[in-house]
Amino acid sequence: MMERAMEQLNVQLNRLTRSLRRARTVELPEDNETAVYTLMPMVMADQHRSVSELLLNSKFDVNYAFGRVKRSLLHIAANCGSVECLVLLLKRGANPNYQDISGCTPLHLAARNGQKKCMGRLLEYNADVNICNNEGLTAIHWLAVNGRTELLHDLVQHVSNVDVEDAMGQTALHVACQNGHKTTVLCLLDSGADINRPNVSGATPLYFACSHGQRDTAQILLLRGAKYLPDKNGVTPLDLCVQGGYGETCEILIQHHGRLFQTLIQMTQNDDLKESMLRQVLEHVSQQNDSNYQRILISLAEVGTTNGHKLLSLSSNYEAQMKSLLRIVRIFCHVFRLGPSSPNTGIDLAYNGNKTPRSQVFKPLELLWHSLDEWLVLISTELEKKCGDITSTSPGSDIASLFLKQREAGPSIVADTPDLLSSSLDPEVMMKSPEAYVDGQDVISMTANRLSAVIQAFYMCCSCQMPQGMTSPCFIEFVCKHDEVLKCFVTRNPKIIFNHFHFLLECPELMSRFMHIIKGQPFKDRCEWFYEHLLAGQPDSDMVHRPVNENDILLIHRESIFRSSCEVVSKFTNEKLKQGIAVRFHGEEGMGQGVVREWFDILSNEIINPDYALFTQSADGTTFQPNSNSSVNPDHLNYFRFAGQILGLALYHRQLVNIYFTRSFYKHILGIPVNYQDVSSIDPEYAKNLQWILDNDISDLGLELTFSVETDVFGAMEEVPLKPGGTSIQVTQDNKAEYVQLVTELRMTRAIQPQINAFLQGFHTFIPPSLIQLFDEYELRNTEYTSGYDLEEPVIQWFWDVVEGLTQEERVLLLQFVTGSSRVPHGGFAFLMGGSGLQKFTIAAVPYTSNLLPTSSTCINMLKLPEYPSKDVLRDRLLVALHCGSYGYTMA
Amino acid sequence: MSETYDFLFKFLVIGSAGTGKSCLLHQFIENKFKQDSNHTIGVEFGSRVVNVGGKTVKLQIWDTAGQERFRSVTRSYYRGAAGALLVYDITSRETYNALTNWLTDARTLASPNIVIILCGNKKDLDADREVTFLEASRFAQENELMFMETSALTGENVEEGFLKCARTILNKIESGELDPERMGSGIQYGDASLRQLRQPRGSTAQTKQQCNC
Repeated sequence: MMERAMEQLNVQLNRLTRSLRRARTVELPEDNETAVYTLMPMVMADQHRSVSELLLNSKFDVNYAFGRVKRSLLHIAANCGSVECLVLLLKRGANPNYQDISGCTPLHLAARNGQKKCMGRLLEYNADVNICNNEGLTAIHWLAVNGRTELLHDLVQHVSNVDVEDAMGQTALHVACQNGHKTTVLCLLDSGADINRPNVSGATPLYFACSHGQRDTAQILLLRGAKYLPDKNGVTPLDLCVQGGYGETCEILIQHHGRLFQTLIQMTQNDDLKESMLRQVLEHVSQQNDSNYQRILISLAEVGTTNGHKLLSLSSNYEAQMKSLLRIVRIFCHVFRLGPSSPNTGIDLAYNGNKTPRSQVFKPLELLWHSLDEWLVLISTELEKKCGDITSTSPGSDIASLFLKQREAGPSIVADTPDLLSSSLDPEVMMKSPEAYVDGQDVISMTANRLSAVIQAFYMCCSCQMPQGMTSPCFIEFVCKHDEVLKCFVTRNPKIIFNHFHFLLECPELMSRFMHIIKGQPFKDRCEWFYEHLLAGQPDSDMVHRPVNENDILLIHRESIFRSSCEVVSKFTNEKLKQGIAVRFHGEEGMGQGVVREWFDILSNEIINPDYALFTQSADGTTFQPNSNSSVNPDHLNYFRFAGQILGLALYHRQLVNIYFTRSFYKHILGIPVNYQDVSSIDPEYAKNLQWILDNDISDLGLELTFSVETDVFGAMEEVPLKPGGTSIQVTQDNKAEYVQLVTELRMTRAIQPQINAFLQGFHTFIPPSLIQLFDEYELRNTEYTSGYDLEEPVIQWFWDVVEGLTQEERVLLLQFVTGSSRVPHGGFAFLMGGSGLQKFTIAAVPYTSNLLPTSSTCINMLKLPEYPSKDVLRDRLLVALHCGSYGYTMA
Repeated sequence: MSETYDFLFKFLVIGSAGTGKSCLLHQFIENKFKQDSNHTIGVEFGSRVVNVGGKTVKLQIWDTAGQERFRSVTRSYYRGAAGALLVYDITSRETYNALTNWLTDARTLASPNIVIILCGNKKDLDADREVTFLEASRFAQENELMFMETSALTGENVEEGFLKCARTILNKIESGELDPERMGSGIQYGDASLRQLRQPRGSTAQTKQQCNC
């Protein structure tokens, strides 16, 4: 009895010491579930001795499936590459073909993870390579997905059907092609995989290679004779390449199937395809060699011409054809501008002047331009006829009246004037002429839009042959030639200007012809046109984006905001600043829309800070204009340029600035001449005097005025002539108007000319002068105060009650607190900008804890308002937050 | 997705005003007579894919205005046309007399190789006939034109007219008389034509080389 007890104790002690020494149990628990979790970590670490030891005398079922996916330990070993354990388990009778809940065998897992040795051993123990999991995937699918060619090579010999399909009808070759594993693809093909095998949707290996832009794989397949087949929806491999913008793969397809070239070109007419992708593909193909370049351009020109002609067919769909034409021409111009891959390979030297083969690519389009020209001539004739109809009582005024006369006189006159009419005119017209005139009006209204779109295309083609920013003389000539017709178009339908006459913005000479019509259009339309054109050609027209690169952040010192901003901005290229601005204040974390807004806000206040002497207040104290004595600040012109840049930048990014300028200064920005009435904004009394001079006869007043004025330059009086020799020219009743104009220019312009010039220099880096002239001086200072608050939520009700009780000042603080700017944006609250576009003023509820203050996320214009228990608490906390926290950012 | 065809031919329909050009086109495309037809303004456009001699051919047809005031505009569409239907009205001698002018225009402005079929339209109005079949066929022969009398109203010979013209062009392509690759031929290859094409010869050799690895 004692002995047995001792023995047991010994055994237990022995076990205990062994266990302690190994830091694990030395005996497998009785039940499989506990046992398997004991073994699993050892199998994963391939601690085969331990496993072997534990299994030795146990009744553990090696095929016991456990866990959510019901795997056996053999799965675990195969998955982890624990080859020794794997063999051990197999020796102990583990089933190599045991399938887990998803139908995966250990071989599947080994294949998926590329466990070469495990795969080998599993095969030795008769693992079945042909088993499919629940998705129909076999071991070779797994190997093909990951491109494990070497393993595949070994395995594929055991496979009965290399084209085994998964649930989607996909073979190993399909997945290898998708992933572009070249050697895997070759291995599968060599093992007899069907190169043209379609999956359930009809997609072939080539289709998959193209859909993922696998150039080399597509090349292999095509060289091995893969057929070019569409899927069941008719989507072709080329469609996929273009959709994905895979130029290289397209190029391969075209190399093998020459006819696809035309198909590719025809795709430019397909509205469903993304233009950027198509352009990318054509760009790539055109850059392969000079002949591709020429061929693409010529073909695009042909397609463009056909499209243009279709657009001019009145029964075609205007919108669709117009878009199509413009898209084709845009791509054409883009490719043309890129130039051939090897420029100046003697091509340009071979011919004189502009008759180089490069310009030959425009040839097909000349047909369209010719038609356009003829159409405009026709319209002009129609216009004349219209006038003729009105003035038909005066005989012989034009051709139309000639017709009328003839109709009255009967056929005898036709015989008298055979050369003039009969030979060139269709008798039909004579007979039906009354009807023909009726629709003269209609012809113009029916064709104006269509012709204007073709004009736009023509302009694009003309411009792409010119250096950037220059208008082609050819085009100017064209506009001059058809001046009357074009004016008639835009008078009837001014929208045409905004839709198609973008050329006006790039050519001031032409713009002036249409200016009066443009100015008559709604501000909103002009605004849209302005921004559309301003941002055209920018890669991302997403207003202000947040640059990822730390170097692209403007790091500003809050305490010296003006100087540090000036320094930082000057270090950035204009292009960068156009793409987007991100501001961070030194020592603060906040960044985003709100900070940018605050920066513009504070900066604009600093620009007009009297300490810098850059701007002076006008008579009414609310508007500003450059200080004629700003030269006290030696750097003043640099600062003016900077101020111009900031204003231009703000306008560019639709940000508000907190400055109102005098009307005259807005006129300077717009390039509009000033007049004596503008003087009233800086010196109302003096303006009245000028007015008086103009209104009254000054002959006998004995004013003794000459064309000169005395000005005070830092306390010293200086006599400044208004024009050469002005000091000795008397002002008389006859020349007083000139005097007033000159003295106005002196006060308003000449005195601050250097400042204006510097300012405009900065301003024009972001806003081209041609664009700003769309507006007048009143519109430029556009600010409207509108609000669109929603008062529906009962919780929010308190908030708005409190806001109503706030003073104006506190409300401004609130606005600043939430949006980062103390101003309402251009166009009102509806145009509040967030980091990713328009973002309305929003209030978010956050759970209330005692003393919690409201916080805000300025980038998304969101006020985070705790759910306060009462209106009073809300008011109290809100005011604390507003008065303490409207400046400075920390992460809330 | 884009239509598949072997070739695209650019066609013109020309002839004096009121001869029924638009109605012919409408009948060809819609298989219906166009009841309330107005004068065409400028140039209209229509297309149809047809089967000619085992090939699918897309006909891109430009239907021109016959009125004199559009003559300059319509002339600008001639270039690069592969085929033309020259239409006159069998009940109007004037439209027949104008044919020479139209023909000269087509031959000089389009292409000397342009395939033209002469269509005496309004065949259904036989009672008002001013131009005999014999007379017109003689004119066609002298000017090397194909000829048939058509009726856009009943549809008689309309399809045949377009198809005959297309077939002739196709024959000329096959005989090598016309080169579709030439710029301004008015002919383009379509996507479908690659189905008939075999693999380029060079690729078989390359395949063999790669098989050795």
